Amino acid sequence: MTQLPQDGAKKKEDEGLKLSSDLLEALAKFQQIELEDFQMDVKELEIIFEPGMAGQIMPKIKLPGIAGRKTTAMLQTAFVPPVETYANKITEVRLGATRSEGGTRGKSVVVGGETSPAFYNFERPTTHKPVITLDVFDMEVPLSKAVKMHVKDVVGDPAAWAKLAVNKFGADMVTIHLISIDPLLKDATPKDAVKTVEKVLQAVDVPLVIGGCGDPVKDADVFEAICEAFPGERFLISSITRDMDVERCAKYVKKNGHAALSFTPMDLNLAKELNRRLYDFLGREDIVMDLTTAALGYGLDYAFTNMERARLNGLLGDMELAHPMSSGTTNAWAAREAWLKMSAEWEPRELRGPLWEVTTALTLLLAGVDLFMMMHPAAVKTLKDVTNYLTSGKKADASKFADWVTVKA
Amino acid sequence: MTEKKKTGLKELSPIDVYNSLPKINCKECGEATCMAFAMKIVNREANIDQCPPLLKKENAKAYNRLKELLKPAVKEVTVGVGDTAKKLGGKLVMYRHEFTYVNPTAIAIDVTDEMAPQEVENRIKCIENYSFEYIGYTLKLDMIAVRSTSGDAEKFKATVKKVAETTKLPLVLCSLNSTVLEAGLMAVPKARPLLYAATKENWKDMAELALMYSCPLVVSSPNDMSMLVSMVKTLLAYGVSDLVLDPGTFPNEGLPDTINNFTMLRRAATRGGQELAGFPLMGVPMVTWIGKGETAEDLIKWREAYLAAMLVVRYADILVMHGNDGWSLLPITVLRQNIYTDPRKPQAVAAGLKVFGNPDENSPVMFTSNFAMTYYTVASDLESNKLNAYLIVVETEGSAIDSGVAGRKLTAERVADAIKASGIENKVKHRKIIIPGKASRISGEIEELSGWKVQVGPRDSSEIPKYLIEKWQP
Amino acid sequence: MSMFKDIPVDVGVIYEGERIRRNDMQVEFGGPSVKQKFELAKVKPMDEIEDGKITIIGPDIKDMKEGGAYPLGILVEAAGATLDQGLEGVIERRIHGYLNYIEGFMHLNQRYDIWIRLGKKSFQKGLNSFEPIGKVLYRLFKSELPIIEKVQITFITDPAKLSELYPEAMQDYESRDAKARGLKDEDVDKFYGCTLCQSFAPTHVCVITPQRYSNCGAISWFDGKASANIDPKGPVFAIDRGQLINAEKGEFSGVNEMAKKRTMGEVNQVWLYTAFDHPHTSCGCFEAVAFYIPEADGFGVVNRSFKGVTVNGLPFSTIADSTAGGRQVDGFHGMSIEYMRSKKFLSADGGWNRIVWLPKEVKERVKDFIPQDVVDKIATEENATSVDALKAFLKDKNHPVVARWAAEEALAAQAEALEVKEEAAGTMMPVATAASLPIMAGGFKIILKDAKIYAKTVIIQVVKNESEKR
Repeated sequence: MTQLPQDGAKKKEDEGLKLSSDLLEALAKFQQIELEDFQMDVKELEIIFEPGMAGQIMPKIKLPGIAGRKTTAMLQTAFVPPVETYANKITEVRLGATRSEGGTRGKSVVVGGETSPAFYNFERPTTHKPVITLDVFDMEVPLSKAVKMHVKDVVGDPAAWAKLAVNKFGADMVTIHLISIDPLLKDATPKDAVKTVEKVLQAVDVPLVIGGCGDPVKDADVFEAICEAFPGERFLISSITRDMDVERCAKYVKKNGHAALSFTPMDLNLAKELNRRLYDFLGREDIVMDLTTAALGYGLDYAFTNMERARLNGLLGDMELAHPMSSGTTNAWAAREAWLKMSAEWEPRELRGPLWEVTTALTLLLAGVDLFMMMHPAAVKTLKDVTNYLTSGKKADASKFADWVTVKA
Repeated sequence: MTEKKKTGLKELSPIDVYNSLPKINCKECGEATCMAFAMKIVNREANIDQCPPLLKKENAKAYNRLKELLKPAVKEVTVGVGDTAKKLGGKLVMYRHEFTYVNPTAIAIDVTDEMAPQEVENRIKCIENYSFEYIGYTLKLDMIAVRSTSGDAEKFKATVKKVAETTKLPLVLCSLNSTVLEAGLMAVPKARPLLYAATKENWKDMAELALMYSCPLVVSSPNDMSMLVSMVKTLLAYGVSDLVLDPGTFPNEGLPDTINNFTMLRRAATRGGQELAGFPLMGVPMVTWIGKGETAEDLIKWREAYLAAMLVVRYADILVMHGNDGWSLLPITVLRQNIYTDPRKPQAVAAGLKVFGNPDENSPVMFTSNFAMTYYTVASDLESNKLNAYLIVVETEGSAIDSGVAGRKLTAERVADAIKASGIENKVKHRKIIIPGKASRISGEIEELSGWKVQVGPRDSSEIPKYLIEKWQP
Repeated sequence: MSMFKDIPVDVGVIYEGERIRRNDMQVEFGGPSVKQKFELAKVKPMDEIEDGKITIIGPDIKDMKEGGAYPLGILVEAAGATLDQGLEGVIERRIHGYLNYIEGFMHLNQRYDIWIRLGKKSFQKGLNSFEPIGKVLYRLFKSELPIIEKVQITFITDPAKLSELYPEAMQDYESRDAKARGLKDEDVDKFYGCTLCQSFAPTHVCVITPQRYSNCGAISWFDGKASANIDPKGPVFAIDRGQLINAEKGEFSGVNEMAKKRTMGEVNQVWLYTAFDHPHTSCGCFEAVAFYIPEADGFGVVNRSFKGVTVNGLPFSTIADSTAGGRQVDGFHGMSIEYMRSKKFLSADGGWNRIVWLPKEVKERVKDFIPQDVVDKIATEENATSVDALKAFLKDKNHPVVARWAAEEALAAQAEALEVKEEAAGTMMPVATAASLPIMAGGFKIILKDAKIYAKTVIIQVVKNESEKR
């Protein structure tokens, strides 16, 4: 049986119990040692509880309801903010490029870089405020009434629409959806698409997202033309998917200094797989992920949990998921409840619709989304307000809002 | 077999529970064996209180051991009595993907003691009538919060009495003045309302009320978490154990602190081992009505609604709101349903025949799985393109098409049975069915079993319109 | 598909499930009316293969009588730098899928059971030779399996030649199976991990070894190897087995490392051959689940398609819920039917000697792999539908678990006695209680003078930093 040193306890104030070297060795190897039938004689043994340790050392016991004797004074205790650290941080991706960065934008934006889950300000501040890009279409599209009323004068004129989005609605970026290239719609050529993008570039000086039509073959051709026509502008190419020629697309994105949106259908393993394939041609700092957004009521819970898990796993060390996330929040409008004229108790849809989009957006904001692709100006305004507040670093005016009970409303 | 002590929810095995059960297989709980009962308990589909032998005095030690083992990180607090009683909290995990959330956020809408009785009655009726059918669930509002804006004990008592006569919904009685609150309690002594609230000034009086009337008590400490847990500790020592925490809800610039506080408290309870934080959390989106000034009411309701949404996502177990319009409450009630859906169980819609547009005897017939997302995607494609068609929803236990085929939940037998059960034979003249492209593997089997001619359709429902134009002929 | 423009009929996934009825068939190959038929894949050295060569030995389709049934052998010979004989089965299995992609061409079963029909419509469209069929196979093999660098295909319809090759084919199947069955986990240095169903169970990773099939039953170690080779960025990846830590339980250092990494520390230890303590995790798509029956101190097994309730009164779904979701749940273990045929099947727990109940249909399927001396002692739903009936049955047949009951009872009696003694000795008082010690700013001390400290056990433990946890 190993003897512990008898008076090793109180040599100096800061010296703890000395363990023999064999014990230490064994401890290092096995992490835990059990001594049976232990006996120790001590002349004097001091056990010191450092400040703050008590919460961890004290055995947890149920505090008894002391019958008959009631506490008169408040039992003070400190709340310990449960701060954690993570193995990893989320990659930062720059979008858009200023003149000195090789492009023509007034400013560029950076997304990602987070070191904590979304808005865990008690741990660390948000690195980059989430960014909003507004949808602009390159041709007439059917829009819900709630949206159309705000953009009816600019539909069909992408440059004017982009201007409105930035100047009036405060978008940080603009997404130019080139749906006219769809072979089933206008089958516009890559050259046509390049012209459209040029017009939008001239109209606004914010970074751009280039949206395709969803046809894997046509998109690949059009994206190539656009990437080559505007090298250095650092567009976000929306998007590269598994059914495209990933190598070809990633190569021209990289060659021309753009960034790629890696888009997968609601499956983290597929997301990781696509990113793995992209790493052969793109840098980590060139990839934003779109894990698919489903509308409130039509799968939002799947999208939310997917994104929350991706963000947490990215922070915990899964590099393939440690990318900034984008959300196609406009998908909220796929829900009938967003645009349908319902019975009187659910009206007006002019408010219900954008609130549907806002609710979708805020849910995903709290999952860690860094870039929002949105539609309705009111939704955009609210999201901007909320992200500004959340990153303001301001303290709440507690006393102002403490007494809601007596408010006359 | 192991004697190891299990801590995390994840590691809880039915064996751990079984070891503390009577092991006599008496079947009084409704299961054939104690092991079966143990499995249901671990899945949170049964409660240890359903085991009569366990409730006997000689088994008290085992009962307590099980209660401790199964204790949720966030205490479950019941408000109200009887059928309409509402359970708050009881959360087992911080993130829903770790298991599932339980006890959806309760929504309480307010009335005040300065409203005329008829106004109170109308408002309550309106709240009770709120109802929305959503994938087989009926979305409703849950509680009435009675606020004392008058500060007058008699007025408050009268209002509470009126409210209790009008509705059986559980109540939240709101006043920081214990005299006023007590008056309200005297009107509903057995109703077990939630008392709002104990503050650092009035906690002792509020504690007395809570003990006297056996009510759960809200502990309020706006933006001061140390004070909050100190009050919790104190109240627990005092003997009040059913607590709800109000860390303060602050709009606009106060959002970061609000989100922070809720997040910290929930994490402290579930992962930080701070038991004092282990109680349900109350959010008050109606703070947006403070300092309203000239702001349009719709804007206030908008802000209240989005604040409520954020709190549903960030751990609020109960919300107090003022705006009660359909347009502003619908998104939150749907969101609440979504967040509280059990992520382990695939969402399924009811199987059966669905009609789109105005189909006739020559219209196309298709089938799909009953996985909610699949169904809604297909339905949306059919609707938005204004197609006239019949869609048979086949029971696949919530599996999508490809995983259903792979996991043998979408089988030719089930499709053939669904076709028969739908009565579609009486609705169309032809005998052709278009099947999802991803179910091509069972195309031949479906033909053989159903007798219908199978056409393999597109793999993605967005191509259905194009497919019908090019390839459909009755 | 554009790569099949020169084929007389369409080729695509939508034809996968097509059935050709007798009246619609032009000609049939193999099937119940033909004695000798086979399809075989063989891996050969590079210089023995002529890439793209399609050979027909015997009459071609156009020479055959309408409505007739003919013998057929399909031989696919492939070569590639990373191909080895272990992948023959994987290549061979693809023949079924690829042939079914051909419009109006139906392929059922495998190996010496194949049954193929060509429809009249496709014949009339011009599909009247094995040549284009060979081309389709060739192109699909080359495009889908890039590790195949050269492949040639031979169709044998000459009865004499078939009779010559048939016994050789049978021999090939047998030696392949013997090798697969004989391959032990200890013989290989790589296992394969699969995360295909991780979307539904984030902390689940299947560890596929030669003696342990994937939970879903779809992927063998050979399949895993092929997948990882073909698509190293895909969902199946190689696991360096590492050191054997515990042969009985099936614990390997490499597997533990992989689990820790892939599950973000949620799962740190995996014991491959047991359902207790640290069993292999289960996702949700397992074919069957083993569940502990404490009354018998044995395991029941139930499969997904079993209707009704098991001997403990619960259906598959409830039992599955206890273990699904990527958890390691003591006493519960999701698995594939194939695993039951393995020698390592729950070997640490006693293997088949510990199985007390399983559905009849499952028993029939794996009967040949249940040891003779216990096969009739295992109950099915025909023998017992309640735990009491099960115990009676087991006792009657003297199932090996019965011996454990006596031993367990003795142990339980001992434990009870000990517990009583401990209670009598008095409950331990905590050194200090949180309620009684006010927290001072500078901390506090406890001083013991002239003390004798006795302890039955002293545990000295390394404390992990906050950041290392989680």
